Amino acid sequence: MIKESISRKIFRFFNGLFMISMMIICLYPMLYVLFASFSNANLFMEHQGLLLKPLGFNLASYKMVFKDPMIIKGYGNTIFIVVVGTLCNILMTAFCAYFLSRKNVMFKIPIMIFITFTMFFSGGLIPFYLTVRKVGLYNNHWALILPGVINTYNMIIMRTGFQGIPDSMEESAKIDGAGHLTILFRIIIPLAKPVMAVMVLYYAVGHWNGWFNAMIFLQDRRKFPLQLILREILIQNDTSQMTGGVGLVDQEAIGETIKHAVIVVATLPILLIYPFLQKYFVQGIMIGAIKG
Amino acid sequence: MKKGKKIYNIVAIMMVTMMILAACGGGGKVSTNESDSKTTPSTNNDTSKDEKEDFSYPMDGSVTLTWWLQLNPNVSATSASLGDTPFAAELQKQTGVEVEYIHPAQGSEDEAFNLLLASGELPDIIERPWYNFPGGPDKAIQDEYIIPLNDVIDQYAPNLKAYLEKEPEVEKMIKTDNGDFYAFPFIRSEDKLRVFFGPVVRQDWLDDLGLTTPETIAEWEEVLKAFRDKKGAEAAFSARPAHITLSSIFMGAYGVQSGFYQDNGKVKYGFIESGYKDYLTLLNKWYSEGLIDKNFATMDQKAYEANILNGRAGITLGYLGSGIGAWTSAKADDPSYKLAGLKYPVVNKGETPMTGQKSLTYETGNATAITTSCKNVEAAARLLDYGYGEAGMNLYNFGIEGKSFTFVNGVPTYTDLILKNPDGLSIAHAMSKYIRANYNGPMIQSGYYADGYFQLDSQLEAIQMWQDTNADKHILPTITPTPEESAEMAGIMNDIATYQEEMMLKFIMGVEPLDKFEEYVAEIKKMGIDRALEINQAAFERYDNR
Amino acid sequence: MKIAEKTMSVEQNYKKGFSIRFKEDMRQNWTLYILIIPVLLYYLIFHYFPMVGAVIAFKNYIPKKGIFGSDWIGFKHFISFFQSHYFFRIFKNTVVINVSTLIFGFPAPIILALLINEIKRQRFKKTVQTITYLPHFISLVVVAGLIKDFTADYGIINDFIAFFGGERRALLNSPNLFVPIYVLSDIWQGVGWGSIIYLAALSAIDPELYEAAEIDGAGRWKQTLAITLPSILPTVVILLILRMGSIFNVGYEKIILLYNPLIYETADVISSFVYRRGLLEANYSFSTAVGLFNSVLNFSMLLIANSISRKVNETSLW
Repeated sequence: MIKESISRKIFRFFNGLFMISMMIICLYPMLYVLFASFSNANLFMEHQGLLLKPLGFNLASYKMVFKDPMIIKGYGNTIFIVVVGTLCNILMTAFCAYFLSRKNVMFKIPIMIFITFTMFFSGGLIPFYLTVRKVGLYNNHWALILPGVINTYNMIIMRTGFQGIPDSMEESAKIDGAGHLTILFRIIIPLAKPVMAVMVLYYAVGHWNGWFNAMIFLQDRRKFPLQLILREILIQNDTSQMTGGVGLVDQEAIGETIKHAVIVVATLPILLIYPFLQKYFVQGIMIGAIKG
Repeated sequence: MKKGKKIYNIVAIMMVTMMILAACGGGGKVSTNESDSKTTPSTNNDTSKDEKEDFSYPMDGSVTLTWWLQLNPNVSATSASLGDTPFAAELQKQTGVEVEYIHPAQGSEDEAFNLLLASGELPDIIERPWYNFPGGPDKAIQDEYIIPLNDVIDQYAPNLKAYLEKEPEVEKMIKTDNGDFYAFPFIRSEDKLRVFFGPVVRQDWLDDLGLTTPETIAEWEEVLKAFRDKKGAEAAFSARPAHITLSSIFMGAYGVQSGFYQDNGKVKYGFIESGYKDYLTLLNKWYSEGLIDKNFATMDQKAYEANILNGRAGITLGYLGSGIGAWTSAKADDPSYKLAGLKYPVVNKGETPMTGQKSLTYETGNATAITTSCKNVEAAARLLDYGYGEAGMNLYNFGIEGKSFTFVNGVPTYTDLILKNPDGLSIAHAMSKYIRANYNGPMIQSGYYADGYFQLDSQLEAIQMWQDTNADKHILPTITPTPEESAEMAGIMNDIATYQEEMMLKFIMGVEPLDKFEEYVAEIKKMGIDRALEINQAAFERYDNR
Repeated sequence: MKIAEKTMSVEQNYKKGFSIRFKEDMRQNWTLYILIIPVLLYYLIFHYFPMVGAVIAFKNYIPKKGIFGSDWIGFKHFISFFQSHYFFRIFKNTVVINVSTLIFGFPAPIILALLINEIKRQRFKKTVQTITYLPHFISLVVVAGLIKDFTADYGIINDFIAFFGGERRALLNSPNLFVPIYVLSDIWQGVGWGSIIYLAALSAIDPELYEAAEIDGAGRWKQTLAITLPSILPTVVILLILRMGSIFNVGYEKIILLYNPLIYETADVISSFVYRRGLLEANYSFSTAVGLFNSVLNFSMLLIANSISRKVNETSLW
């Protein structure tokens, strides 16, 4: 036992060291953005390389950002999409994952193939666009929710999570006369809380960061979610670089510090969701509780 | 347990019904959409009426038109839509046409435009680079997206018509080989408006070191060396490769221009001419001597701007406003920091550089067309023609009299609302609320605009210096290859451009030795440059015969 | 639905057996089928319906004429893609970049998750988790800007190189360094986010298993091999299979932000090539054709991976 604990200690020490360096490396880009957003615009413009503190601390960039009427509207739109969208996602994905995780259901394999096939073959942008328009979702927030209501990749992860739940759990419920819906909502989902937490995280972050569907389906700028506005701002000075050419337009660039302030404003709220969901990851808590 | 089950069942059934309803609701809409687009007559121009004489703005009757255009970032800095600006309100007041502006998301205009075409539901007016429409503007007419404007201009666009009669060169530029007019152009009325990009130097360094303004390549080299050795500039000359291509800097000295250009009626591709090898030799030498930025190939906008601001670079390429103007104001608290324009370099003193950045009078990056879905072509044409008349030019260039500009000695002059905005807006942002001359639109850009916008002496002098080239003789005009030719060209040029960009950097950075130049030319020939030249040559000759 | 019918007709020979089984299934699982109806509708409307549009890969698509009205041109776009001057280069680069991200990028989050799992102090553990997943949220544009800054000749990496007596150079100018830079930055940005799913899987392990192992005298390393790894294996295998199904995809955005013509020879991939070509031509048929080509390759890789997995450890997508 004593020998064991020495090697454990050494391992712990190096593991801790590794984790601390990982944290530094991973924290840095966020800090860079944060420092840049508080920097003096002119000083930041001529700066190159690492940034270890704001260059001449000021809040001017944030003042500019919150003056922008689109940002506040964008927040409202994004929150609606994230809340309603994630709710729909979770329900539908759970239905699908539950169906596919059952053992004695006919048509399970054909349906699984029917679904997985769509991960690889699609008609491309134009037919997808035309379909959504025809369904009547154009210029509507539901166009950002329904067309992606199940992410097949996520669904498969959820199904794998459901499959990992011991059969004995639901067998006893079945004996009590529980139907499928009771089993799903009362037994499977509570037992699969860690995976459900991951799904909420994946979907919510996906909605929060999503801009492409908004870009093609929303016509009214007042309906734009935050990320689309952020992207517009970020990409403006860089379009020429993305395309490898330089446009024949002489236009004033958006300040770099403002770009970074917008990133902070558009990113911080979603960062807070993870610590909240983390409590569902605490090891073994659910299984232990059920057994107790 | 039982109660729970019931509730869940109800929820599930509701979900299903919702989905089905959503699908059905959509189904219902399909038919209306289709019938809508089918019953819409494609063109509806009543040619019988002759209103030319007694027409005057504002038009009466409540006409509403939809106008699709890219939202300029300078506008979005202050307003959610062009429609929210005082400019739009005034335009509506003066013309009597109500406009609903539709803006695609910025940075995704191309995708949005392609989807718009696919959907078949076009707005009345679309502002796009129609000249660069895949297959050419003829194709846009042929595929029935936009209408040819010949009759429309004759009948409803007297201002534009009068201008074109006065300027036959412009008329030639804005039509296709078939003689079709396809859009209302953005016209830069004076030479000084066509030049806005070129070499920029740290004038304070020149003064410090007692150097004169360099004109020849040899003098440039001397200056760059002095910057490197005495000013510690690690990247004495720093610019983005795309900027070099845009301005053809150094290439002009050796008698070539980047890309396609014309030389005495013959179309050439600059990147395979022998002068291009001299240019590569020069840059390779400078690069190996540490006169050119080592990060030259990877540079993004931020790095490149930082270079000229923090003294890593002494000479760069930049725009008048977002370059010289913005950098000077960024260094406002450093009184010694001074920028100036430089002439494009030549080999022998006294020569005029062969070429430099110069846009055409008709800015091909923007044109405003009337679509086949437009039901009131007359109103659309009248609205778009407004920017070519006197009142309209004032509005588009200077905004609202008494507010954003006043006449001083008969010259329109911006007020402090623009130049020293009380809300702290920059000139570009304040301008964008009241005018469109600082980006583009269906209008004639006035020379007074530049006088008002460019406030620094260094900017005004730079325009003079950058203008001093023979670019006009060499720039390829708005030739229009046929749709088939365009498709063929695109296929050929895509591979060639990739290869050429790659090899240019490799030659300059010494990854490939310069004796490989002949092999490089042979490779490009193998990829079909001769066919591309042939297509361009034919189109160029057709242009001349317009 | 169609597939269901097809299955029925195939099994007509066993009609009696089938109908009995069918009735039984319906009686037991009717709520289940009600649940799956909206799911199937979703796939039908938003996936299968647009899929018909993939035919534009074989057409000269003109928006005004519509998908069905455009003229057929057969395999012209495919041939034009295969014959383009750079086909082999971009194909090779795509595979090299993907295989490298697979080999180095796939195990990274698993290792991170296992190491995080070894941390005893809960607060430290949570902090590590939260911080390592931050880079996922930083926009690619910013990340690419940082990467360029770090690798420039004045950047921090060159500071190290210079400190150890090396020569400063712009690292993104060397074709050999592009793939390592791409892969490392990918791991940097994605490792924390990727580890979340494994942490969730780890947290589902019954702690009693470890207690039992401890009593048996198994060390931590042994426990990891005997309990931890087998428990997350299904998740790992499923994610690996899915990852194999995207082996020919490389997003163009990051590539375009990072590359430059000097390193095209290792950095130019199928998607960036199509992107550049699309800018010139706005040719949807061409990009659809390339997309279809990718899909076929990806799907076959997925099928291969899935069947191997089924044989080796009985985990399968279906």
